[in-house]
Amino acid sequence: MSDRKPDAYGSSAPKTTDTSHRRTWDRTAYAEKAASREAQIKEEGKARYEASLKGQKYHAPHHKSSILNDNEHKFEETHDTSARQARLNVADQVGKTQVIISGAGQGKRGKSAGFYCEVCDLTYKDNLQFVEHLNSRQHLVASGESGEVRRAGLEEVKARFAYLVANRKEAKAREVVDLGERIEVAREVEEREREEKRRRRNEKRRKTEGGVGVVEVKVEGDGVIC
Amino acid sequence: MAHHADAKRALDERGYTGSLIRGDNPLKLFEKPVRDRIIESYYWKEQCFGLNAATLLDRALELTFIGGTYGVAQRPTPFLCLAFKLLQLTPDKEIILFYLRQEEFKYLRALAAFYIRLAWEKDAEVYETLEPYLADARKLKRRTREGWALTHVDEFVDDLLVKSRICATTLPKLNPRLFLEDEDKLEPRISALGEELEELDGDDGESDGEVEEVEAMAGEHAIGNGHGNSHVVSDDGASDEVMDGD
Repeated sequence: MSDRKPDAYGSSAPKTTDTSHRRTWDRTAYAEKAASREAQIKEEGKARYEASLKGQKYHAPHHKSSILNDNEHKFEETHDTSARQARLNVADQVGKTQVIISGAGQGKRGKSAGFYCEVCDLTYKDNLQFVEHLNSRQHLVASGESGEVRRAGLEEVKARFAYLVANRKEAKAREVVDLGERIEVAREVEEREREEKRRRRNEKRRKTEGGVGVVEVKVEGDGVIC
Repeated sequence: MAHHADAKRALDERGYTGSLIRGDNPLKLFEKPVRDRIIESYYWKEQCFGLNAATLLDRALELTFIGGTYGVAQRPTPFLCLAFKLLQLTPDKEIILFYLRQEEFKYLRALAAFYIRLAWEKDAEVYETLEPYLADARKLKRRTREGWALTHVDEFVDDLLVKSRICATTLPKLNPRLFLEDEDKLEPRISALGEELEELDGDDGESDGEVEEVEAMAGEHAIGNGHGNSHVVSDDGASDEVMDGD
């Protein structure tokens, strides 16, 4: 509609009509989208049928992974759940003030004050709820874990045991025993802590900018539950 | 073979299809209130999620005390949570024996002994497997309901064999040793103390014997010699208190 044959006076500017302020849709693009969506549904249906024939359950690829997979609809292998390697870091934000966009969160959805899960876009007010969420079905599916743990045999147990014992020995060997060195190390740690304190004090003294969207996060009891 | 990372499936009684202990869901060996406390605890949620028999070692090696529940709110100890996890996993016998037999980590050994006492159904096996550890005299730290106590591995094993309730759980019924000896399922027990016991027996009744008994007790931490044995070693009031509270 934007290409116009030149009219009687030779101008090819687009003519305004009664409806030219109304929105127009690109029909072909939407037709393509509809076709591809139907094809995906059909594929998924087929995969579900096959899985049920085998007695298994079909796990749909979650939307985050499909973004990463170039929008191709691959049946992604979900991986087994395993234990956490390290403690959850819940205490490092205690006492810190964060600037948060005030309209960002609706209830649990969206990032707001508290512990935020990026995969599911949910915020929790305390670490107990947060950890419950991390263990929940919803989150496991979203992060591509199957929620099932592989059973360990004796060999694996022994290997793990040997590995842990070796780790401990190594850690012990690295421990500094000589008194002189210990004094050095303690002094360095103290220096570092003093620097930290100084820096924090300076930050506090500096004037904070007022304005839209500044939320001071000061929860009673810091929201940390042990 | 895979099992679920969370215990929720196992706890839901309606459709339990896993392995059974004494004809029932293994998790039911712990009482309902204790089970609830464990599942609601932060340690369970954060650290015990997704463990299998191998990664459980990571946690078990970090144990520093045994105990049941403590405090007003009946918080479970990590020891108890790991025992619960073991019940959920029901690992193979050989894995449990591996945990028990390793020498380096006494709390892991205590955990394995606790599991054996709870889960194994043949009494004779329980006695035979646990009795060698009545010679292990290492110290254990124990968290009681309102504080701490000192105990030893052999005391703990003895409690497992003798007491009916320990670490916030009621232990399943175990036939007394004499009973099993009468049935010829077990040999009469040979104590690790061996000849020293004979000597003590000989001195019984003399006033000097009293002194010697007390000295012998101070020297050896092993208490108790199975059931029905004439109690040569006198109990101090103090040790009774130490063992109190579950």
